[in-house]
Amino acid sequence: MTSAAGAINLLSQAAPSEVAESVFDFLHMEMVNYVQQSTPAGASHKDEVVYKLERIGFQTGQATIERCTKDVHRFKDQLDVIKFLCKEFWTLAYGKQIDNLRTNHRGVYVLQDNRFRVFANISNSKQFLENAAPYAAFACGMLRGALANLGIVSVVTADLGQTLPSCLFQVKML
Amino acid sequence: MIFNLYIFDRSGTCVYYSEYHRPRKATLSQDEEFKLTYGMLHSIKSFVTRISPKPVREGLHYYKTSTYKLNYFETLTGLKIVLNTDPGVGDIHDLLQQIYSQIYVEYVVKNPLCTPGEKITSELFETRLNALITSLPYFAT
Repeated sequence: MTSAAGAINLLSQAAPSEVAESVFDFLHMEMVNYVQQSTPAGASHKDEVVYKLERIGFQTGQATIERCTKDVHRFKDQLDVIKFLCKEFWTLAYGKQIDNLRTNHRGVYVLQDNRFRVFANISNSKQFLENAAPYAAFACGMLRGALANLGIVSVVTADLGQTLPSCLFQVKML
Repeated sequence: MIFNLYIFDRSGTCVYYSEYHRPRKATLSQDEEFKLTYGMLHSIKSFVTRISPKPVREGLHYYKTSTYKLNYFETLTGLKIVLNTDPGVGDIHDLLQQIYSQIYVEYVVKNPLCTPGEKITSELFETRLNALITSLPYFAT
C-alpha cells in the first residue's frame, strides 16, 4: 500500500514510458470501497472510515516525500515546505498544482484545489457532496505524512463546503 | 436530427434514457418500451450474425426506416449505445464510440458513486453528454 500514488508517478518520471493514471484512480476507488465495507456500521462509522483511509494516506505520503525530496535543497522555513507540497508534491501525486494557498501566519494553511483529481469525475455540482468526504481522506493523509517526514507535526482536514470538484485542505501545525 | 438515446448494460437494463426530439410519443410505458427495444435489438443481432454469408466482425451497425435511423454501438463488455436519428444522418459510429470512451467511461466508470448495473444518476454525466449531443451540426436540423 505504501507505494500507490507516488510510485506510479515517480516511475513515469524516471522513464518516459506511460503508466495509466486510471490504475491509481481505480485502486483508490476500491480502497475507499473496501474500507467502507469492512468497517462495522455504527455511530462512528464515518469517522472510522476517514481515519483508516487517512492512515493509509499517511504512510503513502511519508514514503512519497522520501523519494521526491532526494534532490531538493534544504527548506528555509515552514512556508517553504508548504509551497513545496503545493507545487512538486501535489503535481507528483495528483497531476496539478494547488490553485490557492492561504495562511494566517500562525500555523494554519488552507490549500485549495479547484479541480481535485479524485472528484473530477464525480460531479461538478452539489450532487454526491455528502458521499464524497471519504474520497478526500487519503489525500489528507498524504499531506500529513509528507509533513511528518519533514519534521512537522500537523492535522490535515478536508473541507468540501462548496461545489464538488474543488476541495479545501486545512493544514494545522501542532 | 437526433431523436433519442438509450444505453443498455450487458444484462439488458436500460441504465440511461434521454429524449431530444420525439414528435411521436410511444403508446406504451417507458419500461415496456425499453424491454421491447432491447428485445428487438437482441433478435436483430442474432439474426444478423446467423444470416450473414460472411464471417461477422461487428455485426449490427444501424438500420433505417423511412422515418428514422437507429444507430447501434456495442462495446466488448456488452454495453449498448443506441441513438435514433433521422434517416439523413450519415455514419455516426465514431460519435457513439466517443460517447462511450469520453463520457461513459470518464463519468460513470470512473465515478465511484455510480453503481454498475443501476440507472445513471450522475448530473455531470448528463451535462457532458447533452453538451456533446447538442453541439452536433445535425442535432436540430
